[in-house]
Amino acid sequence: MSLFGGLEISASGLTAERLRMDVTAENLANAQTTRGADGQAYRRKEVVLQEAPGSFGASLSAAMGGSGNGSSGGVHVAGIVQDTTTPLKRVYDPGHPDADAQGYVSMPNVDTVTEMVDLISAQRAYEANVTAMQSAKQMFSRTLDLLR
Amino acid sequence: MLFDTTQLALERAIEGAGKRHEALAANIANANTPGYQRVDVDFHGALQAAMGGDEDSNTALEGLSFSPAKDASAGATRADGSTVDIDSESAKLAANALEQQAAVQVAHARLGILKAAMGVSS
Repeated sequence: MSLFGGLEISASGLTAERLRMDVTAENLANAQTTRGADGQAYRRKEVVLQEAPGSFGASLSAAMGGSGNGSSGGVHVAGIVQDTTTPLKRVYDPGHPDADAQGYVSMPNVDTVTEMVDLISAQRAYEANVTAMQSAKQMFSRTLDLLR
Repeated sequence: MLFDTTQLALERAIEGAGKRHEALAANIANANTPGYQRVDVDFHGALQAAMGGDEDSNTALEGLSFSPAKDASAGATRADGSTVDIDSESAKLAANALEQQAAVQVAHARLGILKAAMGVSS
């Protein structure tokens, strides 16, 4: 059923954007964390999004002779990666227990402004997916009205 | 005949709009996917070809299948090479939903006429 497919696709968008918001929140929460999971300063994480392969239904119709090329199953989270390219911030604070011999502390490479921008972008994309979902729901219920 | 070419065309248009909604929803879902190429379903073109071809319209409409295709004409709108513009996708989605509604309403009215002729109170 084609409209249920639309709902699933929008749902995949909602999941992906919510995960982006979660990861951004984690980055912000750990903006001052000098002891991460590996004992080093926390490194910001980023979500890698990928176009999802076609749904089961789409693959089936393609296999049965329909031309299902280019069909999409929405979006898929390929993984959450650590940003190891942006350098850690070095702050002079000799009193800090994690300071090195020169008195410098490695602070996380989290930039609050970047995180806030990511948060807004994820939020807006989430809203767009919600709108698409509502529209699909409305279209489906109108079509069901044909039976009345 | 109970179900004529117009009714069949309306049904196929409803189906096509559903498929197009799926494609546009996929574009919105991938709004933040780097390098994503937008997809679209040209169901108007498919319907027009089916109804204007040499073949019998009914047969052509019955055998019609709508499939999403990558939109190669769209230029990159983002630095990462993605061709999705979320505003235009949202606008297309809204227009498509209205179009589907219009087709449903006409189909509904036509079925209502049939019902009246058959003496079924609706």
